[in-house]
Amino acid sequence: MKPALFDYIRVTTVDDAIRALGSCNDAKVIAGGQSLVPMLNFRMVDTPLFVDINGIDDLRGITETSNGGLRIGALTRHFELEVSPLIQERYPLLHEAMKYVAHLAIRNRGTIGGSISHADPAAELPALAVLLDAMIVARGPRGERQIAAVDFFEAPLTTSLEADEIVTAVELPPLPENSGWGFEEFAQRHGDFAVVGVAALVGKYGARISVFGAHNTPLRAREAEKAFGSGDTNAAAEALQSEVDPSDDLHGSADYRRHLAGVLCKRALNNAMSGYAL
Amino acid sequence: MSLPNDVELTRPQYVGATVTRREDPRLLSGEGNYVADIKRHGMLHIAFRRSDQAHALIHKIDIGEVLSLPGVIGVYTGKDIAEIAKPYKATSRMKNYQATYIPPLAIDKVRYVGEAVVAVVAESRYIAEDALGLIEVEYRPLPVLVDPEKALEPEAPKLHEQLGSNVLAEREFARGEVAEVFVNAPVTVGGRFHFTRTTPVTLETRAAVAEYDKGAKSLTLHSTTQIPGIVRDKLSEIFDLPGPRVRVIAPDVGGGFGGKTSLYSEEIVASAISRALGKPIKWVSDRMEDLMTTGHAFDEVVYADIAVTKDGEIVGLKADVIGDVGAYSIYPWTATIEPVQVVSFMPGPYRIENYAARVRAVATNKTLTGAYRGVGRPISVFVMDRLLDMAARKIGMDPAEIRRRNLVNDDEFPYKAASGLVWDKSAFQSCLREARDKIGYEELRREQNLARAEGRWVGVGIASYAELTGVGSRIAVAPGMPINTGTETCNVAIDSTGAVTASFGIASQGQGMETTLAQVVAQELGVKLEDVEIILGDTAAVSHSTGTYASRGAVFGGGAGTLAAQAVREKIIRVAGHLLEAAEEDIEVGDGNVWVKGTDSKMTIRDLARALYSNMGSVPKEMRDEIDNLEATKVYDPFFGTTTAATHMCLVEVDPETYNAKIKKYIVVEDCGKVINPMIANGQAHGGVAQGIGVALMEEVIHDDTGQVLTASLVDYVVPSAVEVPSMDVMHVEAELPGTIGGFRGLGEGGTIGAPACIANAISDALSPLGVEIMELPATPERLFRLIEAAKSL
Amino acid sequence: MKGKIEIRVTVNGEEHHASVEPRLLLADFIRENLDLTGTHVGCEHGICGACTVLMNGDSVRACLTLAVQADGAEVETVESLGDSENLGSLQRAFREHHALQCGFCTPGMLMTATDMLRKYPLETEDEIRVGLSGNICRCTGYQHIVDAISAARDERNKK
Ligand SMILES: Cc1cc2nc3c(=O)[nH]c(=O)nc-3n(C[C@H](O)[C@H](O)[C@H](O)COP(=O)(O)OP(=O)(O)OC[C@H]3O[C@@H](n4cnc5c(N)ncnc54)[C@H](O)[C@@H]3O)c2cc1C
Repeated sequence: MKPALFDYIRVTTVDDAIRALGSCNDAKVIAGGQSLVPMLNFRMVDTPLFVDINGIDDLRGITETSNGGLRIGALTRHFELEVSPLIQERYPLLHEAMKYVAHLAIRNRGTIGGSISHADPAAELPALAVLLDAMIVARGPRGERQIAAVDFFEAPLTTSLEADEIVTAVELPPLPENSGWGFEEFAQRHGDFAVVGVAALVGKYGARISVFGAHNTPLRAREAEKAFGSGDTNAAAEALQSEVDPSDDLHGSADYRRHLAGVLCKRALNNAMSGYAL
Repeated sequence: MSLPNDVELTRPQYVGATVTRREDPRLLSGEGNYVADIKRHGMLHIAFRRSDQAHALIHKIDIGEVLSLPGVIGVYTGKDIAEIAKPYKATSRMKNYQATYIPPLAIDKVRYVGEAVVAVVAESRYIAEDALGLIEVEYRPLPVLVDPEKALEPEAPKLHEQLGSNVLAEREFARGEVAEVFVNAPVTVGGRFHFTRTTPVTLETRAAVAEYDKGAKSLTLHSTTQIPGIVRDKLSEIFDLPGPRVRVIAPDVGGGFGGKTSLYSEEIVASAISRALGKPIKWVSDRMEDLMTTGHAFDEVVYADIAVTKDGEIVGLKADVIGDVGAYSIYPWTATIEPVQVVSFMPGPYRIENYAARVRAVATNKTLTGAYRGVGRPISVFVMDRLLDMAARKIGMDPAEIRRRNLVNDDEFPYKAASGLVWDKSAFQSCLREARDKIGYEELRREQNLARAEGRWVGVGIASYAELTGVGSRIAVAPGMPINTGTETCNVAIDSTGAVTASFGIASQGQGMETTLAQVVAQELGVKLEDVEIILGDTAAVSHSTGTYASRGAVFGGGAGTLAAQAVREKIIRVAGHLLEAAEEDIEVGDGNVWVKGTDSKMTIRDLARALYSNMGSVPKEMRDEIDNLEATKVYDPFFGTTTAATHMCLVEVDPETYNAKIKKYIVVEDCGKVINPMIANGQAHGGVAQGIGVALMEEVIHDDTGQVLTASLVDYVVPSAVEVPSMDVMHVEAELPGTIGGFRGLGEGGTIGAPACIANAISDALSPLGVEIMELPATPERLFRLIEAAKSL
Repeated sequence: MKGKIEIRVTVNGEEHHASVEPRLLLADFIRENLDLTGTHVGCEHGICGACTVLMNGDSVRACLTLAVQADGAEVETVESLGDSENLGSLQRAFREHHALQCGFCTPGMLMTATDMLRKYPLETEDEIRVGLSGNICRCTGYQHIVDAISAARDERNKK
């Protein structure tokens, strides 16, 4: 199918983007288009105006922050994350996760800002944002604000972003020192959205666990983290299974997803623990 | 100077050689010509408003302001089309068969989600789709039938009110003493098997460009069809146009797999509108339409049992097949095509004397099912080979051994199977033996035991099957259908420029027939491979043809091509005898030349053609009157057809936590007779197995209770990618060549026939410690999860 | 004001100016406006990969890119790799290994492979398979495609 008619405007500054968004009800940002255009082609969205932000140079690039973390511009493509030496060195699990995101041609276009704003509960980047205590940097007519990732994702494809705000960057605080990590994802066909995935960090602080594809948002699994204590993967997996509230779809029933959440949680934690022990 | 004594040496043996494909350069460089690539002056586009109801009366169609939308040219409903195109149905002489009329656009009633209701004509596809959104169709819902077993019941609502029931076809037969052997049999196994619905997913969606020439009163349809001849014949009837004024061309076609072997509504609607408007009309299906409307595959429930002796000898087989054929009986194959083949092929390559079967084809509110790679046999092999493994498990016999004991032996051919099919001699036993040797069966079993000891779930699968290919006029491809699927035509002509053209009615959808048929014709005629032009898929090329389906291309095309080439060669020899002043027995033809054996008296065929056609005087009038031209049209009828046999083996590992099944090894050993081009034959096996893997592990068309298709995108209808398909080994045994011309057996469907059963057996083997048997495909992780959970809670 | 937008796109080295609706997909722009029908459309939702082209050197889905988003960009389609009289080396590898049957997925496979060969070591068969996972082929079972790309990788590594 082909998209319905819409208007389109290309901007080169964030201010222009915000102005354009404010100029028209239901206007939307288009970044990589890798989630939007499929929906346009199915005529599933009825958006009068698209504001193309690909020309905003300020939204590109990965830079180090003063606290030792990274600031990732919203327009950073998935492929740039995949090959960034900074990411590989500081957030090896993010580097690992990128291999599971779609396929090269889609990673060449898709952006971190788009993935975060799209808020697919089965997507990798939102789950990692939640795991890594990322701050989502947003700007709107009322200025800039930072939203903790755990507060950002509200429901499937729904975030706490206002209609006239755009995501400008994702800021990652440094990983706690001496962390082991694990990343596990299951999909029947390579590159598809996960049926379920689990990302975990383990350190002297205990565990951090986040799960995707098993809840209506990416979930920071606090109960499972608590149950993990100082190393009980089985307890963590069990807690996770009661903490998630998956739904049924064609790729997996709620029961199967819950089952997978437990399995992958154990695997991710075990990997994280062996990394930590090293 | 004399030529070598062994003239064979000077004639390249094209048949059997790996030759790179002549279609490749254009396809690799974007120079191919697919239907969607066609552009014509003044061409308009159509898009269809399709039913979002599975079963409903059309109360009202309101086109509102559509016609005032800039770029919209026209809107057609079912009633409009009915006035310009006659209705049609797939008839059959089979007893207990009920045909259904198929309206190109629904009239009064819709019977499945996706059925075309309104066609909009516009200047672009974009505008046509804009217009679709403005049309309102009001429906009055009717009870929806999605479960064929419920649709069978006498009190079930009827899809076609004029018919007595929803059972569109029924057949029952028995051979031997089935009831008795089951009573006395030492061991019986059986159960309910379910092969869910799949869809072909050719990478190229269906498309058509219809051009009606008002002056010539003729219609040309470029279509993605596998059956240009059948489409031409029917369009000629539907539009009351004589055959020569309907030309159907299948240019480069992006995959078929059976999905493009039916006549489709869109071909008729595009033609009808082109005729009405006098403009070229283009329709290109989008993927959603394609998934919802291209003939679906399989969808059968089979209740089956076998009885075996303690030695593993099969003594009886029973099968009751319920095929869910969707809303209409598909043209031309009828609703019987899939389910009847299931019972016909159920005994497979095994020696079974007592067999009783019943099959019912039941209409439901779903997309029509039609032919898909393997037709019926993927499920018959799934059921039969699963039953064999279940029996083997019960009597404690190795699955390879139980097959060896039951496969028809070399000295038993021709073997008449219990369903009436006759197998000509084919390498049933040696395929099994070679597969065992090649994969290292004993070693595999040892590996399996070691893996089991480590708590891994590893299983070995085997499936053996036989298929009847190149079926001639003795048996219609679908029972009782009034279309001759038993012959094909080839015309070989050397024209006055000396160029060779071989024209066929069959069409290619990627099988490389431009190459393989050129190999056959070049060799038989005695010319260089590159000097043979091949014309395929054009109804103007030959007077009668049906097309490419049922693994018939090589047998029929190769056969007809051989006959025609030989006839032309004889003419060449006659003319050469005169021109070279030698006896015909002394004339040799090869490499584009004719010469007198043992001499240097030689000329090119090109010069010979010029002498015959143009240089009046070089060939006497009497000879020209007798020979006419260097051209021959021949029809080949392989009559019975021939058997292709194979054994597949694989090693599968199921993750004991995620329940994902991964294929670790795969081997195919097949007897497809004389292999024309080994590289191409291997490619066919690879592709067939890949589709079989899809069927076994992931592909399924899912409807909800209201008949909505939930798998309407490639996100939800999951076909395998390069990661899910393993590397495989393919071996051909050319045991004893069959009686077909050239010794060719059909291939193409085979991979898909064997793989689902083979993989299902491997998974069942892997899960045997849990007592899980795979009775339903695809074996998705979700299904395995449910089966394993149930088994664990026992 | 659902007006048209002026764009300038360089395709296979040739600059094109056009005025297009914003909704026009790059795939349709290439096929319909420029008559470069080598780029195929197989699903329009990003799964099949048949429409893959290079944009500024990176493989992208032409069905998931708006033509207006290619304004100012350099696009390369399968036609840039070589024509039937003069196939490029990757096209030749595909031919030699029988890596195509119906040919419909082939342009997308070739463009994806071009990008993969530039970006990844492709040391193992698995790596090649993963790289191809966004391109569906229904004919070949992928094995010969993997073989062709392995050969192209060996060729690349020699340089
Ligand atoms: C075949 C296929 C497979 C895929 N597989 C995966 C996968 O496995 N895992 C995965 O995570 N993703 C997957 N994706 C999605 C892909 O990662 C997308 O690129 C990503 O989700 C969206 O990024 P985008 O830049 O393309 O956003 P767009 O499609 O341009 O936009 C998506 C949404 O975000 C909004 N938006 C975009 N940028 C901003 C911004 N800066 N501020 C505010 N709002 C914004 C848009 O308005 C829109 O609502 C897949 C896509 C395809 C086509």
